[in-house]
Amino acid sequence: MQMDMSVELGKIVPELWLAMLVLILIPMSTFLPGGHKQPVTWFAIGGLATSLIPSAIYLGQPTRAAFGGTYLVDPFAIFLKLLCVVASMVVLLISLEHFRGWRAEGEISAMVVLATLGMELLAGSTNLILIALSLQIITVASYILVGMLKEEPRSGEAALKFFLFAATAGAVMLYGMSFIYGLTGSLSLIDIAQKLPGANLALVVLGLTLLLAGYGYEITIFPFHAWVPDTYQGAATPIAAFLSVGPKAAGLAVLVRTLLVAFPHELSAWPEVVAVSAAVTMTFGNIVALRQHDLKRLLAYSSIAQAGYLLMGVASAGRDPLGISGLLFYLVAYLFMNLGAFAVVTAIEQEKHSVELTAYQGLAREKPFLALSLTLFLLSLAGIPPLGGFIGKTILFGAALAANFWWLMLIAAINTAISLYYYAKVLAPMYLQPPAKSSQIDRELAERTNRLDAEPELLVSGVVSPILLATIGLVEIVTLLIGVFPELVLNMLRLAKQL
Amino acid sequence: MPLISITLFIPLLAGVLILGVPKERPDIMKVIALVGSLLSLVGSVWLLFGLNWQRGGGLQWQEQTDWIPSLGASYHLAIDGISAPLIALSALLTVAVVIYSWQVKYRVKEYFFLFLLLETGLLGVFAAQDLLLFYLFFEVSLVPMYFIIGVWGGERRTYAAIKFFLYTRVGSLAMLLSFLALYLTTNPHTFDLPTIIKAQPFAGNYWGGSFVLLGLFLGFAIKLPAFPLHSWLPDAHVEAPTGGSVILAGALLKLGGYGFIRIGLPTIPQAFNDWAIVIIIIALISIIYGAGVALVQPDFKKLVAFSSINHMGYVLLGVGIGGIQAAPAAARLAALNGAVLQMISHGLITGALFFLVGFLYDRTHSHLIADYKGLWNTMPVYSGLTALAFFGSLGLPALSGFVAEFQVFLGTLAVYPWAAALALIGVIVTTAMFLWTLQRMFLGSPPTTQVSVLSQAVFEDSWDGMLDPASAPVATNQLPTSAVISTTLTIKRPQDVTATDTGNNVKNLPEIKRRELIAVVPLLILTVLIGIVPGPLIGLINAALTTAPLGPLAGLISAIAKAGGLH
Repeated sequence: MQMDMSVELGKIVPELWLAMLVLILIPMSTFLPGGHKQPVTWFAIGGLATSLIPSAIYLGQPTRAAFGGTYLVDPFAIFLKLLCVVASMVVLLISLEHFRGWRAEGEISAMVVLATLGMELLAGSTNLILIALSLQIITVASYILVGMLKEEPRSGEAALKFFLFAATAGAVMLYGMSFIYGLTGSLSLIDIAQKLPGANLALVVLGLTLLLAGYGYEITIFPFHAWVPDTYQGAATPIAAFLSVGPKAAGLAVLVRTLLVAFPHELSAWPEVVAVSAAVTMTFGNIVALRQHDLKRLLAYSSIAQAGYLLMGVASAGRDPLGISGLLFYLVAYLFMNLGAFAVVTAIEQEKHSVELTAYQGLAREKPFLALSLTLFLLSLAGIPPLGGFIGKTILFGAALAANFWWLMLIAAINTAISLYYYAKVLAPMYLQPPAKSSQIDRELAERTNRLDAEPELLVSGVVSPILLATIGLVEIVTLLIGVFPELVLNMLRLAKQL
Repeated sequence: MPLISITLFIPLLAGVLILGVPKERPDIMKVIALVGSLLSLVGSVWLLFGLNWQRGGGLQWQEQTDWIPSLGASYHLAIDGISAPLIALSALLTVAVVIYSWQVKYRVKEYFFLFLLLETGLLGVFAAQDLLLFYLFFEVSLVPMYFIIGVWGGERRTYAAIKFFLYTRVGSLAMLLSFLALYLTTNPHTFDLPTIIKAQPFAGNYWGGSFVLLGLFLGFAIKLPAFPLHSWLPDAHVEAPTGGSVILAGALLKLGGYGFIRIGLPTIPQAFNDWAIVIIIIALISIIYGAGVALVQPDFKKLVAFSSINHMGYVLLGVGIGGIQAAPAAARLAALNGAVLQMISHGLITGALFFLVGFLYDRTHSHLIADYKGLWNTMPVYSGLTALAFFGSLGLPALSGFVAEFQVFLGTLAVYPWAAALALIGVIVTTAMFLWTLQRMFLGSPPTTQVSVLSQAVFEDSWDGMLDPASAPVATNQLPTSAVISTTLTIKRPQDVTATDTGNNVKNLPEIKRRELIAVVPLLILTVLIGIVPGPLIGLINAALTTAPLGPLAGLISAIAKAGGLH
């Protein structure tokens, strides 16, 4: 037994490492004086980077099951783990300066690492209980992150909304799991697959639908997206960036695994269900995004729409190998372009204390680098070559067509065209308008300052930090590289496609 | 030596270099832009003359390396007798724009960077032999134009820029879906154009081919633009700065026509055959509509913009006729050849026209035709050049426009005489429009505000004079200036001559400058040259149309072989 345990633990070194990191980070920050807690964040970044090493080693090894088949270490899971860790590292780099001087500065990195641990677990889970548990870890860490700005009433509201929503969705999901358990007598996805075909189809559909509610709020599938705009707006910008990428990736991973493993042979017509929800999600996100003036809200709706594109890959995954390739490729591209866009928003927020579109007027003259970066990220989100988002969208469109979802492909194409309008709406003031009159910015600044009087140290320096700029530059280069040399990512995917 | 790649990326390299130049040194930026675009022009001319003109059709200067092997996309560049002239045209127009733009003072760095980026995109589209690569360059050429219109444009620039962006984006997305359909139906999956053409994935698949055609048509016809997908063009042109208009009309519109001939016809010939009549009707509507709307424009720049819709209609007409498989091969060949030649000719003439419109605007800040009168008295050289461009545009023999349109007519006449007859209406209206404009703006005496009715006899005299561009200035000078003020054409002028302030300004307008001459004269020289000696260019295009990969599907190889031509 002793031997067995060490073998089993040897399969989850990255997860163990992250768990340890959380346990170190929480007490660590209490020992450091306020205002000097940056080492905690650096420590977290280093720890996350180190956790990449065992994961990378696993990537070359054959699939192994751990803990009696409840947990799988396969290339698909490892690829997503790598992705989530990279996302968390970028988020911590973005938040480094943003939270300087905060009382909770150290805890933020601890919570980010905790959420990352949840995502890693979720990516490998093949057991319903483990899935539910991992989702809870992510969610709990996210509540804390969202509510961290407790001095701002909006942040509290955001956290509460998120909490209520997540709790409800989680309960519904557990209810659905109970149906599936009742039908099959098993919690393991593999066993479920064998026993489901004989079960009552109506109950299977019901169970799956309820299950989707739980996954749906992580992925932000319509109508489970409702928490997103307010939560993103209320949370600190780097946290919104984190929520828009990490949980979504992990949620998609578990969705794909559940559907492909537990519901083979398209039982209960899930490809159609996912395809329809993809279409609705992207259309809703894009149309509502058209009317946003707050950049964080705009990006929130944009990220809902992007989830719709990603779901295209899920819908096609069972029918054509392009589906998973497209999903994973787009996920990689999305990670960088979306984090990049949020990073620029963070930088502008530090500089001008505003996330309104008006703050971006004449940015091309004032901050050419930030303007250029945001342009690249938004054009990539809009799917314009030669950026990462383009190749990703192309593969997803191709996957939908190959899977016979030509109508979904058409809807996605129309959506892509619509989305250009609001992305261009952000670009236009940066390039086409002169900088906003200083009096206007001063006034906005004054309002902000008044509101934040209670916590003066919240007001960051007003200068964009070099680390943030370097992060933006790095993410920008990656976004461009993915678009120009997509083979680099596709080569990795060749392994990761194996579920 | 990868000469295509070098020609392609020199502008981009120059653009990136410009980004690194400090703000205080716009002179260095301009020199870099000029050198970069000139080098690219040299490269493109080298490519053109380095072609084997006898077998100008086969893809030459081939470059192929892996790009995305897992998706079957490669970095495949090659040119033939159709793409080489268009590449040279785009490079020439960019050089001309850089020379003209020497005066630009507002955000010089971004201005030249965007134009050079645009050039790379344009040349890339014409050289790409891989659908994904084609699409990539197609879109790369779209983004800079959005910013060029949006930043340096006129009053409604934001609106025009976003309209242009959205319109073309919808088209290109539709095109992308068709590309994907072609990709997925070719086994093994590939984006390589010659391979797809060889595989003919949609042979015998009526509905599949039709949908692919619909996607391609949306993409290319919006770019062209053809009625009713043209509504972005007048806005974009009127709001764009002069340099932007020149590239937009001269090179960007050609992407549509080129796409039809390079990708559409060869990959889904059957669909083009099935839907030929629809394409022809759309082309005819574009021709007549473009001419008619141009006629009533009070705005000089809009007039030229709408005349572009008319001219690109001939390209679409040529494509439509060229796609009919039952038609005699000689007629199809003539129509397609005319379409390609029309693209080159329109690039030169309309490029020149937009320059000329811009020169005038730089002096007076007005595009209104009614604001000008008797320009020939104050700016004879400028007026002579404009008249030459007008005559080229209306299809006067011995100028390039005539050769092109004549061939399209020839092809059309052999297949659908009625279509040729309808298209002729377009020619007549265009002729009337340009002559009327010539009268309104250039003839007469500038300071006089009195409007007198001209006798029919005098009017006809001036008409004779105008038919010959060389003698035109002389002829008008001989006319009693006071007599040639108004016109006797029955069409009502949209705005009556209320030339008071501007009329006085017109009197003092400075003559065309040397820099402006350098920009515009080469284009007009080429127009004349192609008009007088069209043989080599026609031969080159014919060679491309009758050799693989374009030839076989059009069924042209065998026909020409029978006729004792090539092979």
